[in-house]
Amino acid sequence: MSIHPNSVTSETSDGYVLVRLGGEVDLSWSQEVRRAVLDALAGANVVGVELSAVSYIDSSGIAALVEGFQQARTRGKRFVLVATSDPVRAVLELARLDRVFQLVPGVDALIATA
Amino acid sequence: MKVQRARVSVAHAASGARAVRPGARQATMGETGTLAFLAELSQALAVSLDLRQTLSETVTRVVDFMRVEAASLFLLDPETHVLDCRICVGPVDITGVRLAVGQGIVGAAVAENATQLVVDAASDARVWRAADDSSGFVTRSLVCAPLRTAAGPIGVLEIVNRRDGEPFSAADAELLDLVAAPAALAINSARMAATLLEQQRLKREFDLARRLQKSLLPKRRRDNFPVIGVNRPAHEISGDFYDHFEVADGRIGFVVGDISGKGLDAALLMVRAASLLRWAGKDGVAPAAWLARANDELCETTQDGRFVCALVGYCDRAATWVQFAGAGFPPVIVHKGGAFTDHASGGPPLGILPGVTFEEHHIDLAGGTLYAFSDGATDVRDEAGQPIGNAGVRALIARHAQDSLEVRLRGLLADIKRLRIVDDTTLLLVEAPRAERPEILLARSVPARAESLRDLRAAVRACLDALGVEPQLRDRLVLAVDEACANIIRHAYAGACGGDIGLRVQLAGAVLTFELVDSAPCVEAAKLRPQPLGETRCGGFGIALIDEVMDEWHIEAMGNGRGNRLVMRKRIEGIVGEETNEA
Repeated sequence: MSIHPNSVTSETSDGYVLVRLGGEVDLSWSQEVRRAVLDALAGANVVGVELSAVSYIDSSGIAALVEGFQQARTRGKRFVLVATSDPVRAVLELARLDRVFQLVPGVDALIATA
Repeated sequence: MKVQRARVSVAHAASGARAVRPGARQATMGETGTLAFLAELSQALAVSLDLRQTLSETVTRVVDFMRVEAASLFLLDPETHVLDCRICVGPVDITGVRLAVGQGIVGAAVAENATQLVVDAASDARVWRAADDSSGFVTRSLVCAPLRTAAGPIGVLEIVNRRDGEPFSAADAELLDLVAAPAALAINSARMAATLLEQQRLKREFDLARRLQKSLLPKRRRDNFPVIGVNRPAHEISGDFYDHFEVADGRIGFVVGDISGKGLDAALLMVRAASLLRWAGKDGVAPAAWLARANDELCETTQDGRFVCALVGYCDRAATWVQFAGAGFPPVIVHKGGAFTDHASGGPPLGILPGVTFEEHHIDLAGGTLYAFSDGATDVRDEAGQPIGNAGVRALIARHAQDSLEVRLRGLLADIKRLRIVDDTTLLLVEAPRAERPEILLARSVPARAESLRDLRAAVRACLDALGVEPQLRDRLVLAVDEACANIIRHAYAGACGGDIGLRVQLAGAVLTFELVDSAPCVEAAKLRPQPLGETRCGGFGIALIDEVMDEWHIEAMGNGRGNRLVMRKRIEGIVGEETNEA
């Protein structure tokens, strides 16, 4: 099913940090994802989480994103989901969170918000 | 258009030069002019996929470039071996003229598959003169070049009389031979394009017919209905059909039909016969009268020797009895208490002879099953290519007899599919609905660790795919199972090592059950409440997602203070029904 190995990387660019996720985000490593998201928020005012290579996400993965969203909001920062894959979008819709997060199609849109 | 004008002007320039030095045409035109002409012709023909345009283009250009009085193009009909003049440019219209292979110079070019040069037509007895005689035109000199393809000549390109009055030379014949090559290629391409278009059109029509047919088959009933049918077309479209419906008095009517022949017209007759048979039985008339009514109607309108084999009948809701009549239909097989009995059809097929009567059967079915197969089932071939026949069908039934209805049907279909289907195969079953024993689709035990989840998800996904669950629902069910396991790992075992999670996926009727068993301390069921979705909290989604995806779920303690059993249920619509109507 998944052609992407599980991976989380962070790229710091001008004015924002992009956290890139890949593979199946589940209980086995969602804490790593949570750490990466919170670290990114500690160092930048705009954080994007790129999800195009995520073939599966469970509620623990969603929880990591929600925590990032909440932290950003309380600190007046910007937290954006970039290029959500279909599986991710399906779970967001199921959890009724698709209208809670700010979703952008690509990094370009993220730069526009930076 | 621009290209053509430019080329024509080149031809005029060439002719102007010739006027200065008549008789030295080849030298004047030069090889460069010839090559340019051939290149342009090839290019123009390469982009043309319309046969008529291709032919017309070729002839017009040849007339212009070679400065001839007339030119024509004949195409060969491979069946009749007649050459038909399709395009003609010149003072006499010979379009439509037909010559046999070998007749005239045109016919000789095809017969010998070689270019024919006639320097002086008056002295060549082979020249076909009918057009000259009737029009007063004088054919002085001509060249005919065959349109060659790998599969032999497909026609002839002919030029008549140089405009400068000179007879044709060997060089003219060579040039026409050169022109014929790209023309033949282009005609072949245009023909292939036309064939392809025709095939695409046919495919669209077949798709439409197939969709129409599938829409006529009744939807699978899951409310303890005693009649169930499946249809497997041997090709894209089927000549078979089945139907079932409830009569006002509570009886259930059923129909199985098989149209003689295959293909589109059989399919169209199937559409008509299906509606006719449904209409004829709608008011609960006895099976023999039902068939007689449909027969008379079909006799009035069915031609071409086509006929319809059919079985119609009724049963009660509990399938304690079946009443039916057959018209040219294979014997009905009743399997009851381990024994088989055949009930041969009593009447001739429908649509042949009006006014015939049909035999009626009444069977005490209680506890047994009636199998009505179209003859496609007995035509199914075994490994040795022999029809499996009635005995083969009985053996198939016996092999699956112990299975519940859904499982049996799937098993029978899988067997029939494994053997080669040479005819449309339709199967209709009548039996008392019974409490279905659940079928175990997946049973697995994994260590209660997060690292187990990926493989477990893959197993559940594969299991649901095999069942034909549509992707969106499949993904949701996988998610719900994953969430349940994650909760067991995180909360029930609470990080303690050494425990297992046992997963069992079962299908009973149309209901999927996911059962998760652990050996963790008993969970207080009351504490497991789904939180509302859509709220931005950092946890507690899992149960909410399960609650959202599943129809029903509950958790029960296994006793002795350890072990929990989580049961989640989801009704799946149209799994087998969709699969069985597929080609």
